[in-house]
Amino acid sequence: MNTTAPGARLVARVDSVTKSFGVGSNTVTALDSVSLGIRAGEFTAVMGPSGSGKSTLMHIMAGLDTPTTGRVWLGDTDITGLDDSALTLLRRRHVGFVFQSFNLVPTLDVRGNILLPFELDGRRPTREEQDWIDHLIGSLGLSARLGHRPHQLSGGQQQRVAIARALGTRPHLVFADEPTGNLDSRSGREVLALLATAAREYGQSIAMVTHDPLAASAADRVIFLADGSVVDDRARSSAEDISRFMLGMEAAA
Amino acid sequence: MSAGISLRRGREHVSSLLVTALSAAFGAGLIQATGFVNDLYRDEEGGGETQTALVAVAMVFILLALYVASIVTANTFGTIIAGRARTVALLRLVGASARTLRRDVAREGLVVGLVGALGGAIVGVGVSHAALAWGVASGVMPEAAYRSVDPLVLLPVVLVVLTTWTASHVGSRAVLSVTPMQATGAAQERSHEESVRRPVRTVFAILFLVGGASLLALGILLGLVSPFGIVVAFFGGVGSFTGVVLGAHWILPAVLRLVGRALGRSAPATLAAANAVRYPERSTRTTVGLVIGVTLVTTFAVAMATYRTILLREFGGEDVDGVLAVTVGVLSALIGFSGVIAAVGMVNNLSLSVLQRTRELGLLRALGFTARQVRGMILAESAQMSVASVGLGLALGIVYGWAAAQSLLGSLSGTGLVWPTMPWGLLAILVAGAALLAGLAALAPSRRATAVSPVAALAVD
Repeated sequence: MNTTAPGARLVARVDSVTKSFGVGSNTVTALDSVSLGIRAGEFTAVMGPSGSGKSTLMHIMAGLDTPTTGRVWLGDTDITGLDDSALTLLRRRHVGFVFQSFNLVPTLDVRGNILLPFELDGRRPTREEQDWIDHLIGSLGLSARLGHRPHQLSGGQQQRVAIARALGTRPHLVFADEPTGNLDSRSGREVLALLATAAREYGQSIAMVTHDPLAASAADRVIFLADGSVVDDRARSSAEDISRFMLGMEAAA
Repeated sequence: MSAGISLRRGREHVSSLLVTALSAAFGAGLIQATGFVNDLYRDEEGGGETQTALVAVAMVFILLALYVASIVTANTFGTIIAGRARTVALLRLVGASARTLRRDVAREGLVVGLVGALGGAIVGVGVSHAALAWGVASGVMPEAAYRSVDPLVLLPVVLVVLTTWTASHVGSRAVLSVTPMQATGAAQERSHEESVRRPVRTVFAILFLVGGASLLALGILLGLVSPFGIVVAFFGGVGSFTGVVLGAHWILPAVLRLVGRALGRSAPATLAAANAVRYPERSTRTTVGLVIGVTLVTTFAVAMATYRTILLREFGGEDVDGVLAVTVGVLSALIGFSGVIAAVGMVNNLSLSVLQRTRELGLLRALGFTARQVRGMILAESAQMSVASVGLGLALGIVYGWAAAQSLLGSLSGTGLVWPTMPWGLLAILVAGAALLAGLAALAPSRRATAVSPVAALAVD
């Protein structure tokens, strides 16, 4: 695994990004001049304790939030100055999302949820896209569930629908926020394996925020954040190594 | 101790207070008016028939107002409880029983009823004397020994207190479905199917529908021989409409689904159509006020137009037109009142439903719904609801209005059965007003929905 190759293509990149909340003496700096790139075709985990800024960083990279200072690229687009509707279109077409919970629109069935990004664009998937979606539905084991509503599915099944939706548009980046946080350990392992497979077999770039060392050990690369700064950036690691590093970080703090 | 959670929140009850005060004022004023007319005709021969008819008509409209007010109050209390779910859950968590909490809510209803009814009655009596003084001064009413306060005024006051109390108790049943788990933030949204199955309620709805419709038909037939047919028809109307309201959880979603199909196939329209029928309880609460308002206005308009047709044919001349103009003026107060209530209810409930869907809206924004698409979705929901309620209200109102005219005046010589007269102008205003209301009702919630950033919405627990 060529995790440190300079010049590898980047699908998302932040340069000296700072994000602060509040005004005056109440200002909280969530991100302190972070520079980082997510490499194409890789499964990257972003780790850190609560309040480390990992979620804020991912929100900014995914075009959900804007930085206070610094620049952000998604694909080849500089998204720093984009307005709300441009960011919305960008998310719709080039970013896939898998959240911890509340991933699916409750009023739509499985098929409707998976096709939602296309519906929002006011178009039907092309023949090629439809084949891809059918392939995803088959390989995620959702063929028998297409007419089900989210509340009729287990947590793991709901998460698989979210993954199918996220991969369906072949986005530049799939952004997963604690995707296993609400699942039992077996469903959690399944979801991680699916994400790892998507990166390995389809070359899908994935960025996952997590505080679970076991989840992070499924990734090709692990980035550690603490107090709004990147403190380490390492290749695939075992859950034990990641835990040890996290505990060391806690002790140093 | 638990009364503390409720009584401190006077602001929530402003709309209920308004409803009770308006209905009490309306009832007191109307009773006063019939009293004044009594005073006027006390010594005359042949006045008796007019008086009885007047009191009968006044009572019909007072009961109608109370009926509307109690349904609106019950729905308002339901909405208030929905907004308090977290607090109720917390109280349940620390050991308050659901029954105690519900009794507390009903006690709030009693207080609201007492304050509103007394205040409203005082206003109503005051207004009646002001109107009388103006009438005498301008020569519309002759000088006479008018009574100061008709003892019958107590009747609407007591009725308002009782109906408000009952309505708050009915509306507070939502307390029973709040579980202590909801306080921990771990509770899942209740799925919509759970709230639909209500076999007992459905049976009652059908009984009321069938029974009411039969009484309505009987009233119309009776009306062919006596003006008191309207009393029977009135109970038939209330009965069948209660059936509609009770069965609203399957009638309204069906109508909404029908209207939703007309919205189109875009993603916002599809979602709006699905949202409107997702919580039958909530969409019923939101729309039922408008259904009642429109039914009432249409009933009134069609009844008046049909009365006019019949009376002009019977008596002819300007006298009749003059009397009708006064009557229309008096009854317009009722119409305006229910319109305001329906508007308040619709705005309240749509806002609430948007507020409760913050996370879902955040998800949609994250996935690529533009702010405009979200606004479009909420406007489509609002439009779907108002089209459905106006359509249903119009259909019901035409039937009821015609039945009212037919059962009151069908016995006049040579009338027999007549076609309803359609007041096209008023109906057009009604439709335009409802469209305006749909837009207004969507305005605040859609602004709130698009002001929320997707990150903030998804962070909500």
